[in-house]
Amino acid sequence: MRLNSSTNKSVETKETPSEYPNLIFDPETDKRLNDILDMIGNVAALDFSKTLIPSKKNDMIDAVSLGLNMLSEELSSSVVEKSKLDSVNKKLEKFACTTAHDLKSPLASIIGFVSLLEATLKPEQGSEIEEYLNYLKKTTEQMRSLIQGILEYSKTDTELIKKEIIDLNEIFEDVINSDQISEHATLKISNKLPIVFFNKPTLIQVIRNLLTNAIKHSDKETCEIVVESKTDDSHFQIRISDNGPGLALEDQKRIFEWLNKNDDYSKKDSHGIGLATVKNILDTFGEHIWVESVLGKGSTFCFTIKK
Amino acid sequence: MYRENNKIKFTLKDGVLYTECFPKTIMTLEDGKESTRISAEMVNYKPLPLLCDLTNVISMSQECRKHFSGPEHASTFSKAALIVTGDISRLIGNFFLGFNKPLKPTKLFSNKEEALKWLKE
Repeated sequence: MRLNSSTNKSVETKETPSEYPNLIFDPETDKRLNDILDMIGNVAALDFSKTLIPSKKNDMIDAVSLGLNMLSEELSSSVVEKSKLDSVNKKLEKFACTTAHDLKSPLASIIGFVSLLEATLKPEQGSEIEEYLNYLKKTTEQMRSLIQGILEYSKTDTELIKKEIIDLNEIFEDVINSDQISEHATLKISNKLPIVFFNKPTLIQVIRNLLTNAIKHSDKETCEIVVESKTDDSHFQIRISDNGPGLALEDQKRIFEWLNKNDDYSKKDSHGIGLATVKNILDTFGEHIWVESVLGKGSTFCFTIKK
Repeated sequence: MYRENNKIKFTLKDGVLYTECFPKTIMTLEDGKESTRISAEMVNYKPLPLLCDLTNVISMSQECRKHFSGPEHASTFSKAALIVTGDISRLIGNFFLGFNKPLKPTKLFSNKEEALKWLKE
């Protein structure tokens, strides 16, 4: 004996026990519901080729069928658009990397000739020639840094395999010393940082980029950076806070995009590559990075490392 | 002013364009374009508030929804109130607002008086 879902009356039946013993439908309804289940399965498997044919009953099942058809169409369009966009992005990244690689050698020649020119001309201090040469040196250095950034971004997918045990306190100390961070900022590590299992060169790159980013965008006389760590059951969370200008909500969403440049960034000689590289590295490891910020009140860049 | 084709009735009254489909209407891209053409002619190519009753629509193709959310159709109305009184019309209305994102202010209503009040705000 089973309960009929539409009448709530018990009915005698000799059918084979179904997967849902409390629900009995007429064969047509049963078929329509099974088609809907199949359709959901197909959509879940990203197969959008199936379309449900609504009956002429104009009932709730037809409404569900129509909804699924529309959902499938819209998802199909979104998946196709995303795939096109991914492909264009990959091509753009490849083009930028190839171009950067090709520019490396002529740029090295230019840098060499500028030095040669300076040595030959021996410009007087404060002269126009010295001013022009300094401008040339500054511009070529910016270009070298841009090319280096693009090449580092492209490396991140292939060179991340080797992981090792790393003491984050030591890594921070190394970066602070090698990059002379204390000459540009006061840095405080507020609690003992954890020991993690990660790829060492790329973790150094992440930390170096985040610290440099804080210094580069500082609008205060003294750039103050505070590093702290938090922990939950599965992850360590590393937080790097600064006393800089902070970010508007709209910029927080775009800050990790490749070649992103907002007004502030272009003013600060940034190429929009450093944070994209950081995100790319962390994405590759399945880790997360985000920024917490209030405009005018500094920013905190947070990233995770699995325990 | 009143016009109709095989699927839609168009009425222009008190500065509002009313559209209503005949029962069990299936809207395709061609129907959408035809609707835009007639609407544009009726409002004399100057956008007016639109009250569109979706109650009798039983299906609307993706291309048609896209067309109704695009610039060509947006040139015929200043804001649009969609009347949805059944499961299917409400579904179509929600998809239209959620996925297709019309260019001009558009809201769903189950009540014509409330819709008119909003259109005239």
